[in-house]
Amino acid sequence: MRYVVVGLHAAGRSACTWLRKVDKTAEIIGIDPSPQPVYSRPLISYVLSGELAARDMLVAGDGFWKEQGVTALEDRALALDPGRGRLDLASGRSLTYDRLLLACGARPRPVSLTGPMAGQVCFFRGRRDLERILGRVRPGGSAAVLGGGLVGFKLTMGFLKRGLSVTLIVTSPRPLSLNVDSHVGNWVGERLKNTPGVTLLTSTSVRSVEAGTGAPLRLDLDSGQSLEVDIVAAGKGVVPETGWLADSGLECDYGIVADAALRTTDERVYVAGDLAQAPDLIHGDTRVNAIWPVAVEQGRVAALNMAGIKTAYAGSMAMNAIPVFGSKMISVGVVNPALTRGCDEVTVEGRGAGYLKLVFRDQRLIGAVGLDAPPRLGELAFAIRRGLCRRDIPSWWLDNPKQAAPLAAPGGCLARNARLA
Amino acid sequence: MIQKTVIVRLERCVGCMQCMIRCAEAHSQSKTLAEAIREPILAKPRIHLGVGPEGRPFPNKCRHCEPAPCQDACMPWAIRDDIAPGLKVVDPTRCIGCGMCAMACPYYVIRFYRDAGAPERPSVAIKCDGCHERVAAGGIPACVTACKTGALAFEEVNLYLKEGTNRLAQAAYGVHS
Repeated sequence: MRYVVVGLHAAGRSACTWLRKVDKTAEIIGIDPSPQPVYSRPLISYVLSGELAARDMLVAGDGFWKEQGVTALEDRALALDPGRGRLDLASGRSLTYDRLLLACGARPRPVSLTGPMAGQVCFFRGRRDLERILGRVRPGGSAAVLGGGLVGFKLTMGFLKRGLSVTLIVTSPRPLSLNVDSHVGNWVGERLKNTPGVTLLTSTSVRSVEAGTGAPLRLDLDSGQSLEVDIVAAGKGVVPETGWLADSGLECDYGIVADAALRTTDERVYVAGDLAQAPDLIHGDTRVNAIWPVAVEQGRVAALNMAGIKTAYAGSMAMNAIPVFGSKMISVGVVNPALTRGCDEVTVEGRGAGYLKLVFRDQRLIGAVGLDAPPRLGELAFAIRRGLCRRDIPSWWLDNPKQAAPLAAPGGCLARNARLA
Repeated sequence: MIQKTVIVRLERCVGCMQCMIRCAEAHSQSKTLAEAIREPILAKPRIHLGVGPEGRPFPNKCRHCEPAPCQDACMPWAIRDDIAPGLKVVDPTRCIGCGMCAMACPYYVIRFYRDAGAPERPSVAIKCDGCHERVAAGGIPACVTACKTGALAFEEVNLYLKEGTNRLAQAAYGVHS
């Protein structure tokens, strides 16, 4: 039995580990342009901010693949012929497979701007992006960050910690507009505005990047303003790497479409991680939820199914937690106001609750967002999975979110409204 | 040998919180209460008395899930299953305090404090480690040792479930095995 895994980051690594756990003798081949060093990409924001040294991004030594019994090829997949069960690699080699996992992830979404210096815009996905940025960073310098989402936020805080002044340019009316509700988004916006060294420009985009006079780069904004900076970095989301699969015949939408076993339209080919457009628990359709824990879970579920162990995938949901100005912001499920029209909202106000809001659609919990709230996000994700109804939220939980027993406590609410099927 | 785990018999919990004190003590440097409370980095409990249904006390601790959502969420791979068999243990030297594990946990059992295991970090993830060092030395978890009512016990889970079946049989049919 030969398993081939394309992409060896969060989803691919998880899949390889589980394939080896359940099948001690199968051949497992992993393909990645850089299988080593074995590191976790999200940690780049901690290195940018100076909280971690670069070596702290490593999660395993160079012997990792050998220990797992995985043949890791430093190569890139170029084309797939599912009918023949053949994968063509950049080195010229071709591989056949019994089961294939596509876990090659996504790349940063390009920024739509023009200008001779447009190529100077840095992205923030992996260690090479980090190296490029660190090469341009200097205390007392200036940076522009494009994008008001989580990556843009991490870039802003990282540059600040490095002693740069930062202009955060956001096309929406407020930052984190896709991730949190208006209350938290506006709170973050206000704190950003009042943070020395930060200039927040909302409802603004960059038209072009030219060479500057006082500083290396000049940004021309759609507001008519111009801005000179040492470095420009963008966090505008990610786009699944489906290009090379366009002729494969696999159903491809935004990502590669997967069923509840994380299988593609070819029965021997599976998909996991940022590439996968898999069942979404809340929306009921298929979506790409490009976050770390989803990739790790999907890697496992796909691997188990590939090995013949039927494992259902309940569906992914969005989940985020970041420290913001000494507070902790959390969100799970659907909280974006653009998507929650007509939904009921309950703001929890027990002692020590901070700000915690629950969102219900047709009586079922679909999302939660909090600021300095007790870290009960996973519990709420679990409740969303189980279809918690509004009428069944226990008062002993709402009145005391800091000290209450978990919602799954026996005698609690979740037992009564478990979703059947 | 089937592994033992901490079994909770909720109806016996009176909310005395001795489990919390002994848990913290067991994770201190000195391992004795009188000295533990004076240590510069105060050890914290890994078991939490919550307020449950009808205001009854609820001792809440890590279930060492398999697979564990906290482990899935941990980017620096600080939550290990290779430190003690059957247990998910945080390696404080690898933890970066990002909080994703606490966010992922369905049972709200992870907290963040400064820990003697990584004194240079302002806070790291603190959760039940199954008292694996005590158990490896022939002992039982500190919370179980502390519990006077039998709400916490260290048993094989299948035997506990069989006990439930026997109790039902006894109640329904007056039979016992």
